[in-house]
Amino acid sequence: MNCPIDTIQLMHKYLDEEITFEEEKQLRVHLDECKECSQHFHELKKSIALVQSTSHIEAPSDFTLKVMANLPKEKKTVSFNR
Amino acid sequence: METIIKNRIKQVRKGDQNAFAEIVELYKDKVYQISYRMVGNRHEAEDISQEAFLRAYINIHSYDINKKFSTWLYRIATNLSIDRLRKKKPDFYLDAEVAGAEGLTLYSQVAADGMLPEEKVESLELQETIQVAILKLPAKYRSVIVLKYIEELSLKEISEILDLPIGTVKTRIHRGREALRHQLRHV
Repeated sequence: MNCPIDTIQLMHKYLDEEITFEEEKQLRVHLDECKECSQHFHELKKSIALVQSTSHIEAPSDFTLKVMANLPKEKKTVSFNR
Repeated sequence: METIIKNRIKQVRKGDQNAFAEIVELYKDKVYQISYRMVGNRHEAEDISQEAFLRAYINIHSYDINKKFSTWLYRIATNLSIDRLRKKKPDFYLDAEVAGAEGLTLYSQVAADGMLPEEKVESLELQETIQVAILKLPAKYRSVIVLKYIEELSLKEISEILDLPIGTVKTRIHRGREALRHQLRHV
């Protein structure tokens, strides 16, 4: 493995969208010739895509009513009717 | 959005509880989602989110109205989730195999327990795998990954929510990504 030590750092910089134009070129050149790094990069991107694809869940339907019912009573409170 | 929220907060501060209901409606899913991805089951997630809104209400006077409300609220929810994870009984090991269920660890139970029937779509298995991978992350990596990739917040916001320097947030995201890669590379 003759990979530049900072290749993985460059991948993370890329993923953070903080990579410079020069660094990106450097990364691409290396990825083109190194199967291992290319695989690593692919796996990182895939993992992120998977986490992003996870379905968004919603709070239970009675959630707000429950919160409101548990609030401490205050003097000037208008009662919560819904 | 922020203007509406700030007006509602002013009303709450004047003693109008109903204005708080609107704030809860706007943020309940986000807060619930953060808690759910942090602790891994719906029951505890609801508990934590309820508590988060209660604390937000009680401490509404200490919220700095010049700052983004969601940052403050998510911070309460994240801290409560992290506290909850710390307090988990020491004999509760997620990696421990469940008696009589070969290969089935509490991880898979935690994930399964958090699923509602309507969510059991064709990708159920994949969803579970992803949730398990998130839950396997140490809490400090889990929080940044959830805030970054599920809530889609900026590094600056994440650093404010977790009260960490941006550099630390970045390092944790990098390590979290590598840990996820290990879990999910063969999916």
